[in-house]
Amino acid sequence: MEMETPTKSVLATGARLVLRSWRVLWWAYAVNLLLGIVAGLPVAAGVSAILNNSFEAQRLVKGFDLGVFLSLLMHPEVTLSTFVPGSIFISLLYFVFMLFLTGGLLADFRQEERLSFGKFLESCGAFFWRFARLLLFHLLALVPAGILYGLLDYGTEKVAENSPRDSVGFWLAQGCIAITALLFFVIRLWFDVAQIRAVAENERKIRRALGKAFRMTFGNFGSLFWIFLRIGIVALAGSAAAAWFFFKVIRPEQVGLSILFGQVIVFFWLVIRLWLRACETAWYQRKFPAPVAFAEAPAPPSPLEVEPPPLPAPPLAAPSDEASS
Amino acid sequence: MMRRLMCAALCAALLMPAGVAAPPVPRPPQATPVAAAPRTTLSERVVAYQMDARLDAQKKTITATETLTYRNLTGKPLDTFPFHLYLNGFQPESTFNRERRMDGSRGKWEEKYRGSIEVKSLEVAGQGNLTSAIEFIQPDDHNPKDKTVFQVRLPKPVPPGASVEFRIAFHSKLPETVARTGYKRDFIFVGQWFPKVGVWWRGAWNCHQFHVNTEFFADFGVYDVKLTVPKNYVVGSTGDEVSSVSNSDGTKTLTLHGEDIHDFSWTADPNFRVFEDSWQGSAGPVKIRVLMQPDHEPQAARYISALKGTMDRFDRWYGPYAYNRITVVDPAHGSEAGGMEYPTLITGETSWLMPRGLLIPEVVVEHEFGHQYWYAMVATNEFEDAWLDEGINSYTEVKIMDALYGAGRSMINQWGITLGDADLQRLSYLLVPDTDPLVRSAWQYMSRNAYGGVTYGKTATVLLTLEGLIGEETLRSAIRTYFMRYRFTHPTEEDFLKTVEEVSGRDLRWFLDQAVYGTQVLDYSVASILSDPVDWYAEDREEKDDKAGTLYRSHVLVGRLGDFVFPVEVEIKFSNGETIREKWDGKERWTRFSYEKKARVISATVDPDRKVPLDRNLFNNSKTREPDARATRKLANAWRVVVQLLAQALAWLA
Repeated sequence: MEMETPTKSVLATGARLVLRSWRVLWWAYAVNLLLGIVAGLPVAAGVSAILNNSFEAQRLVKGFDLGVFLSLLMHPEVTLSTFVPGSIFISLLYFVFMLFLTGGLLADFRQEERLSFGKFLESCGAFFWRFARLLLFHLLALVPAGILYGLLDYGTEKVAENSPRDSVGFWLAQGCIAITALLFFVIRLWFDVAQIRAVAENERKIRRALGKAFRMTFGNFGSLFWIFLRIGIVALAGSAAAAWFFFKVIRPEQVGLSILFGQVIVFFWLVIRLWLRACETAWYQRKFPAPVAFAEAPAPPSPLEVEPPPLPAPPLAAPSDEASS
Repeated sequence: MMRRLMCAALCAALLMPAGVAAPPVPRPPQATPVAAAPRTTLSERVVAYQMDARLDAQKKTITATETLTYRNLTGKPLDTFPFHLYLNGFQPESTFNRERRMDGSRGKWEEKYRGSIEVKSLEVAGQGNLTSAIEFIQPDDHNPKDKTVFQVRLPKPVPPGASVEFRIAFHSKLPETVARTGYKRDFIFVGQWFPKVGVWWRGAWNCHQFHVNTEFFADFGVYDVKLTVPKNYVVGSTGDEVSSVSNSDGTKTLTLHGEDIHDFSWTADPNFRVFEDSWQGSAGPVKIRVLMQPDHEPQAARYISALKGTMDRFDRWYGPYAYNRITVVDPAHGSEAGGMEYPTLITGETSWLMPRGLLIPEVVVEHEFGHQYWYAMVATNEFEDAWLDEGINSYTEVKIMDALYGAGRSMINQWGITLGDADLQRLSYLLVPDTDPLVRSAWQYMSRNAYGGVTYGKTATVLLTLEGLIGEETLRSAIRTYFMRYRFTHPTEEDFLKTVEEVSGRDLRWFLDQAVYGTQVLDYSVASILSDPVDWYAEDREEKDDKAGTLYRSHVLVGRLGDFVFPVEVEIKFSNGETIREKWDGKERWTRFSYEKKARVISATVDPDRKVPLDRNLFNNSKTREPDARATRKLANAWRVVVQLLAQALAWLA
C-alpha cells in the first residue's frame, strides 16, 4: 500500500482521491442527472403539445427569443407554478441523497484503499443521522450570517440612498454579498471539518464534534482557507470559461451540443465540491493524525472498516506512518 | 424682448417648411384651425402664464406668483374657471391615493411622500380678490377629500373674444418623488407645480381630477417663468433660457420662455453634468442638452445617439419637429422620475451598470421624445384618450426602435437572448387582451395593469395589425397626415381614425369597431391537417402509402377561436414542394380547405406573413405534419440544468 507523502500538495492529494472515487462521482452525477430528467419531464410534456408542431417554436430554436418564451409561459398548461414545486422537491431529494452519500465519501477519502461497495453503504448509513443533526446546527449557525446580511444590507442601502452615485450602492451591495458569502463559506468549512472529524473519530456527540472542529478550523484557518480559496478560484475561472464558451461558441440552434455542455457544467461543479471535500479530508489527516496506538482491542466491528481490514488497528485509524507525517 | 422676437421669427421659419411638407389633405371642419391664430404662432395661444418662483432647496418647497391671461375663444361668455392643483394628489385621502390602494398598492404612508399646492390668494383683474370664492370640486368621483381641482366663479363673465387676467400666489411642497414628480436628495423634478386652468373642449370645461392612471391636458400658450434657485444648481426646463442673473444671497434667477407649449416643467440638481449637441431637422437646427448624473456620464452618448436617430426618423416619417430645443434629463438613481415627457423636456432612464444589449436608455429616450409629437404637439386629452398619445407613441416607438436596432432585438440583444419592442408591446397586451376597449377614460380601466396593457401594448399591437391590413407606407402616411393636420390642436379619437380611413381610402369600421371600440379577442388556429389516400380501402394500401404517385385527399381545418372577425390568409405546403395560399374571411367559426393531389399536406399556417400580431396565440397559427422537438428539448434541457445546479447548490449544505 503506497502511503501518502506529506510533500505532496493537498490539492493534488484531493484530486487523486476524487479520481479514485470516480464511481461515487459518477453515481452522484447520475442521480443528479436522473432527478434533473424527472424535473424536466413535466416541462417537456407541457411545452411539447404547443411547440412540436408549430412554426412559432423555431424562434426558440434559432436563438432564444424572450418574447416567444414569455408568451409560451402565458399558456395555462405551461405556467411556472406547475413546474417549480416539483423541481424544488427534486432538489431537496438530491440534497438528502448527498447527505446520505457524504458519510461514505468521507470514510472513503480517509482510507488508503477504496472502500468496498458494502462498506461504503454502511458508512453512509452510519453517519447519516449524525450529519442530519449536524445540518440542524449548521442551519442554526447560518442564522447569524443571515442577520448580519440583513444589517449590512440595511446599512449599505442607507449609505447608497444618500449618495448621488448609484455605483456606490452597487459596490456596497457587492461587498455585502461578498462578506456574507465569505462568512457562509467559513461556517461551511467549520461544518465540513466537523463532518470529517465525526468520521475520523467516530464521534457521536455532535456538540462535542462541533466544538472540537471549531478549534481545529479556526486554529488552522489559514491553511484550510488557502485550500478553499484556490479551489474557489478554479471554480470561478472554470465557470467563467464555460459561460464564455456557451455564449460565444455554441450556436443557439446547436441544441444537442448545448445539452451536452450543460451537463459538463453540472459535472464540473460536482467535481469541484468533491475535490474540496477530499482536500479537506487530506488536510485533516495531515494536521490531526490519528493516534498510533488504539484501543485495547478487541475492537468492535465497525461499518467503516476498510477492506482489507488494517490489522488490529481500529477501523478509522490512519496508518501509523501517515500519522507520523 | 429681443429674444422673444427672435423666437417668433424662428417659429415662423419653422412653420414654413412644415406647411410645405404637409400632404394635401383637406382640413376637416371640426379641427381647430391653426390659421385662425396669428401668423407667427404655431398654436392658438389660449393662455399666457407669467410666473416668478423661488425654490427652497432645503425644504423642497416653491413659493411663487402666477399671472394667467386667458383668452376666451369659446364663442360664449365664461363666468366659471376650473384649475388643476395636481400636487394635492399626493395626499393620503386624495383620489390618486385611493385608486392606488384600490389597485393593490400597500405601501406605508410616509410624510415625505406628501405633496401639496396651496393657493394663497387669487385675484382677477378688474374683479377683485376672489380667494374666498375658491371651491374644490370633484367632477369624476365626488371624493370630498380630493383637492386636485378647484373652480372660481367670477362676478362678471368674460365675453367671447375677451381676455381675463388671474393673479395667483401659491405655495407648492414637493414630495419625495411620486409619479415622477418631486425630489430625491438634491435632485428635484418639478412638474405640475402651478395652478393650471382647464381646457374648454367639446363645448364644456374639461378639468379632471388627478388619478393614479391619468396624465394631463392643457391649452397651448406662452410661458414666461423666472426661477430663483441656489447658485450651484444646474437647471433644465421647458423652453429657452433667456437670462441668468446671480443674486447676492447665493442664488441665481433664470428667466425662461416657451411658446406654443401647453405645460412648463423644470429640473434642478447640483450634480448634473451637461452635454450639448445639435441636430439638423427639416425645420431647422435643434439644440440638444443632456443633463447627466455623475455616474452616468459615459451613457450620455447612448442617449444622444438614440435621440438623434429618433428625431431623424420622426422628421422623415411623420413631420418636422417644431421646437428649437430638446432637453434630456437623466434622473437621480432611486428617484423614479425616469420616463416622463413635457414640452421640449424629457426624462431618460438608465443605471450605472447598463449592458449595451439592454436597450433601456435608448427606448426611454425614444418613447419620451415621441411624446413631443404625440402629446406636446398633437395635444390629445390624456385623461380621456390616453391611447392617442401613449398608444400611437408606442407604435411609432416600435417602428423606430426596430429601424434603429433591428426588429426582434430592439429591446434586448444580449448573450444570445433577444426581445423585440413589438413583442414586448404584444406581451403587455396579452396580459389584458379583453378587459377594456382602447377608448376609455384612463381612470376607468379595470386596473393599472389593464390601463398599461391596453393603452400602450394593445394600441401598438392594433396599429401593427392595421399596418398589415393597409400597408406600412399607407399607415405611415396616415399618421403623418394626422400629425400635420392636428399638431397644436386637441384632436379626438375620431379625428385619428377618420384620417386613417381617409388616407387609406378604405372603410375600416369593421376593424376599428372591434379593435378600438370593442374588446373582442382575435385568435385563429390550424385545428388539423389530414392527408388520406384516395384509395384508402385498397388491399395493398400500406405498401403504397409513401410512394410517389399516390393520390391523397387532404383537408386543412382552420378555426376562429376568438370573437374578433378578421380576414386571414392560410398557407398550405405539400410534400412535393407546392405551396398554396388561401384567403378566408373568418366570418364563420371554421373553414376547411380540401385538395386532391399526389402529395400530402406537410404544414398549414394562418397568417404566414405575420401581419396579425393581434392574434392572441401565435403557437396555434401553424401545424406541421412532422413534429420538431428541438425547441422542447432546448427548454426542457435548460430547466433540467437549472434544477441540477440548484440541487447541487443545496447539496453544499449536505
